Amino acid sequence: MQTTVSEVTEQQVQVESSRVATPEVDAPAKKLIKPLTGAEALMQSLVEEGVETIFGYPGGAIMPVYDALYDYQDRLNHILVRHEQGAAHAAEGYARISGRPGVCLVTSGPGATNLITGIADAMSDSTPIVCLVGQVFASLLGTDAFQETDVIGVTMPITKWNYQITSADEIPEIISKAFYIAQTGRPGPVVIDIAKNAQQELMTKAFSYKKCEKVVSYRPRLIPKQDQLEKAAELINNAKRPYILVGHGVLISKAEKELLAFIEKTGIPVASTLLGQSAVPCDHPLYTGWLGMHGNYGSNVMTDECDVLIGLGMRFDDRVTGNASKFAPQAKVIHIEIDPAEIDKIIKAEAPVVGDAKEALIRLLPLVKENDHTAWRNEFRKYDAIEYEKVKAPALAPTTEKLKMPEVIDMLSKKTNGEAVMVADVGQHQMMTSAYYQYRRPHSLITSGGLGTMGFALPAAFGAKVGDPSREVIAIIGDGCFQMTLQELGTIAQNKLPVKAIILNNNYLGMVRQWQQLFHNRRYSFVELQNPDFIMIAKGFGVDGHTCSKREDLSASLDTLLASDKPYLLEVIVEQEENVFPMVPAGTSVSAIRLE
Amino acid sequence: MNTYTICIFTENTIGLLNRITIIFTRRRINIESLTVSETERKGVSRFTIVIKHESRDHVEKLVRQIRKIVEVMAVFGYLDEDIVSNEIALFKIATPLGATPLDIEYINKHFNAWVVNWQLDYVVIEKTGSEKQIFEFFNYIKPHGIIEFVRSGRIAVGKTEKGLVEYLPDVEWEYYL
Repeated sequence: MQTTVSEVTEQQVQVESSRVATPEVDAPAKKLIKPLTGAEALMQSLVEEGVETIFGYPGGAIMPVYDALYDYQDRLNHILVRHEQGAAHAAEGYARISGRPGVCLVTSGPGATNLITGIADAMSDSTPIVCLVGQVFASLLGTDAFQETDVIGVTMPITKWNYQITSADEIPEIISKAFYIAQTGRPGPVVIDIAKNAQQELMTKAFSYKKCEKVVSYRPRLIPKQDQLEKAAELINNAKRPYILVGHGVLISKAEKELLAFIEKTGIPVASTLLGQSAVPCDHPLYTGWLGMHGNYGSNVMTDECDVLIGLGMRFDDRVTGNASKFAPQAKVIHIEIDPAEIDKIIKAEAPVVGDAKEALIRLLPLVKENDHTAWRNEFRKYDAIEYEKVKAPALAPTTEKLKMPEVIDMLSKKTNGEAVMVADVGQHQMMTSAYYQYRRPHSLITSGGLGTMGFALPAAFGAKVGDPSREVIAIIGDGCFQMTLQELGTIAQNKLPVKAIILNNNYLGMVRQWQQLFHNRRYSFVELQNPDFIMIAKGFGVDGHTCSKREDLSASLDTLLASDKPYLLEVIVEQEENVFPMVPAGTSVSAIRLE
Repeated sequence: MNTYTICIFTENTIGLLNRITIIFTRRRINIESLTVSETERKGVSRFTIVIKHESRDHVEKLVRQIRKIVEVMAVFGYLDEDIVSNEIALFKIATPLGATPLDIEYINKHFNAWVVNWQLDYVVIEKTGSEKQIFEFFNYIKPHGIIEFVRSGRIAVGKTEKGLVEYLPDVEWEYYL
């Protein structure tokens, strides 16, 4: 067990001096440690946790913390967002790329409620964020005081854990517990609500910090049980048409290498969920693409045909399964998952394996036999050829004057060699980014999968850039999504974060329009947007950019974007009524997949 | 429709009741009764929640969902035959002058019910037992005029040799009692 006592700054130590004249003057000088305020203890706790960056927005109920932060600027980088929702999404982007919890700092009431969408998003996508929220004085709690909101009550259903601190002494222990819970097991958001008096008052004891290593009632199982592994291995070894679906859990547990070793030994083809994309390089011969409502044709059909299905670090979301009762009808399911509540929740598992994806793969590898599955894995090629002919070739062919979304993503993929981090917002452009970008490195697609939060990409992109400045971060955003959080251009400009953003502008809420076209007789109910001049807005914030509307300008436009060492916004005017295919209509079986 | 008794062991912290009941709300499951008290282990609370449900599968999913709560240490779901359970009810019965007198001996012997408070115009009778037994007594006593009736939630222990607290995470628990 590691116990650390915080470093004590010079002004916090006073050497006992002539102030006290006692007979023990000859005794060694005692060090009196000046107690920290709750706000100082919070800062020190964050330093102890290794936090480097905080995304936040000050306000009345969090001012003592911001005052303390003033003295910690050399150790804690604070990024002032333009709206608290931006702080939450930025923290998510930071966490998704770095694997470390993202930290938000906001005030009470509206400050806290503005975080809600981001917290719910982090819960859906198992993203570790720690939200530190100011609260009114403890003596005012429950009195409808100014800017008081029951943050604990409001966030209870959308957090992994939340806690209200009402005294300074609680701060170190609760913060260490918050970070431990947020990032262990199945990660998730944690909210810590801190009453203003707890921020202001002095601790009654010297500050000391012990990193939380266990919580009695919370024991995530990392190492799977051997009998579960053996049963899974037996199913795998006897399978004729096994298939693997990898989810976000593989990236969270950093199991990419183990996954490659596993599929190469067993010869099992693999598909990913939306959030599992980039866990396997897109050009790997065993990778069949992604699965689900807009996933690849081959992946959906192979799920329908496989005899053993291995769900690895994924949760059989309804966007993946379609009609769950008709999902993988011939398959015995092996479900490898760290969260026991996910087992049998949607799809009944013949062989559940509760544990961390990486640990499970390490232990499964010696139990599985080498195999080839040549005929089965090659089936994918014929489906891929069908999809290419019916969907991809037409989508990439210049048939009209207007540019198409796939052309943009495809060219971007080639120009960046599949190495960039794509941060996709939510809608048609998100599906195109998933389908046409050829991911080569892990953690290369950051998007809002479970909640489908429009406005996610711009703040998540700068969070990701802060999380890993070495990588090229490109946000792909629809014109509708962009207008939900465009004010974060100000954050990007002020902090000189070289984030690149591409707006795929079709003047529509494209995905809704597509559904209205296909399922509501083209009754385009309130989906057309009268858009502003996005480039003028960007320039107003101090971000350079330009608009591309012609095919012959696309290559040069992308070159300009990629060459910029500053934030840059490229608006691409695209075909208005373009649809995303393949598509599994909601509530149907994946076998009902439509190619056109 | 089966009756399930769900026993939940938790840390004794503020707000946990909300956190647990919200899971029932989200799954649209009605809580028939709910009892909470501290166990023989210090700092460990025990929730006993009774629900009715058609699908055992759904109840198992509910149990797993409850177990996800950070402060929850263990959750057990039982059918009636797996537990010994009891409830308590209090009946305030009118005893005005001239009314049919209460047959206290019969009440004691046949219903195991006891008068716990005598007043001039009413008595309070305590009856413990199963829901069925309590309502049998309810029907017997009803003609006397029930001024007030209150029934507790169910409390239950499992019919296993081990105490449920033995299944809690392995730490040095301090006895509360």
